[in-house]
Amino acid sequence: MIEEPYRWVEAIANRGEYIETQLAAGSPIVALGYRDGILFLTLGKTRQKLFEIYDRIAMGAIGHPGDIERLRMAAIELASTEGFTRSAADVSLRRLAHYSLSPVLKTAFEQVYGAPYLARLLFAEIGANQENDLFLRLDYDGAIATNNATFAQTRQDFGALSGTRQSTELMEKYLAAEHAAGVTFERALKLSLDAWTVGHLALGDGGVKEIPAREKILAERKERLRGTGVEAAILERNDKRAIRYRPLSESEIRSGLGD
Amino acid sequence: MGHMSPTVPISPIASPASIPQTQATTILAFKFLGGVLVAGDRRATAGNTVVYDRADKVLEIDRFSIMAIAGVPATAWEMARVLEHSFQFFRRTQLQEMSVDGKVRALSKLLRDNFGFVLQGVGIVVPIFATYDAGSDPAARLYFYDAMGAQFEVTDYAATGSGSPAVRGILFYENNWGKKPLAKLNEEEAVTIALRALDTAAESDTATGGVDRGGKIFPIIKIVSAEGITTLPEKKIAAVFKRSVA
Repeated sequence: MIEEPYRWVEAIANRGEYIETQLAAGSPIVALGYRDGILFLTLGKTRQKLFEIYDRIAMGAIGHPGDIERLRMAAIELASTEGFTRSAADVSLRRLAHYSLSPVLKTAFEQVYGAPYLARLLFAEIGANQENDLFLRLDYDGAIATNNATFAQTRQDFGALSGTRQSTELMEKYLAAEHAAGVTFERALKLSLDAWTVGHLALGDGGVKEIPAREKILAERKERLRGTGVEAAILERNDKRAIRYRPLSESEIRSGLGD
Repeated sequence: MGHMSPTVPISPIASPASIPQTQATTILAFKFLGGVLVAGDRRATAGNTVVYDRADKVLEIDRFSIMAIAGVPATAWEMARVLEHSFQFFRRTQLQEMSVDGKVRALSKLLRDNFGFVLQGVGIVVPIFATYDAGSDPAARLYFYDAMGAQFEVTDYAATGSGSPAVRGILFYENNWGKKPLAKLNEEEAVTIALRALDTAAESDTATGGVDRGGKIFPIIKIVSAEGITTLPEKKIAAVFKRSVA
């Protein structure tokens, strides 16, 4: 019956809905470009959600741990193979996402007899300067979003990822208004936490639809920080070493926040 | 250069392949107050020809590990690349650092895999491996290998390559009868001994570059410690050289 075109469309719509429901509770992830690098930040209780993919590429993910793991492994293997056979300079996020991961996700999503990936990924690649940073969101159906950037103009200062479309869009709206290129690390840390809070408040059926008042963000942020662990990592820009990824320790994060 | 004889002598160091191979010498490493110092001269030779006078034989494998090479750079650099990628791949996928034992074994395996070529007279590599062990007994560790892949952990010093007999003589002497044992030297004293040892090796071994006074080419010196790897800037080496060696 799924062979009939109409049934196929229906099946796809159903599984889309199913995946959205599964991902809806995912804690937001923020990636922000600042003067000396790119900062990834999220809050969570147990699982690690930020990962190093290659020298200059990092990934944040929400979804089923098993699926995240499969995609993470695939990304690392692809990047490492390219880096080994050619050179680290030939590994690029654009190629990794567009030519390798996106087709895999799309195929899995549309082959209705197999299982789709229950995962949504946020990638960032650090460039020589902020103009060359790339932020990219990859959805379970293979769709790639670069915050409305065109193919030719990939420059973006931030990336956001959340459980629901409403939450993601609100975070992007907030960051578009509040974030400016060239800010310091401390400013980026505070802003990413605020953006995370906005995204968090927008989750669920009763979630906010507009950017909440400043006081509300601060109150919620304080509340969340008390009960939850902060996870953050950076891609350093002017590092003499090839590997730019560095996870931040909880104390580093808290002192940066002035906590 | 003639055909390759299938019955080349099974004496790895001396066996000359019919093609003159580019070779690198001399490297040394010893423990001092600041960790492990690894130094290498810059010369690469093929037969009695100097191929290159700015070769880098002290290679960083990861943030805490150095592989220094004596032997054929073509094989050694490829080994270093394989090691670098496999350590990184392990760390990224497993989300933990590979153990020191694992790293030491990985190099051993590469040497063993290469031994067939060594018997044919090509591609011999005799490396030194230095790394920082952050495990239960934190310390900078030092190993040397033979061409078959046996690893030997070293308490004080190691040297390999054609200039190594002279270097070993100096390090043994300094360690036993010098002003202080090697392990008690500070950085300046350690660099001094390393430069003197390489210069001594170069004095009798034509395959060792030592310090090129005319071309101002200095050995490469790196230090492994709890902070990771420090590459000494050429200016600093030049200053020590001027003060204590020249």
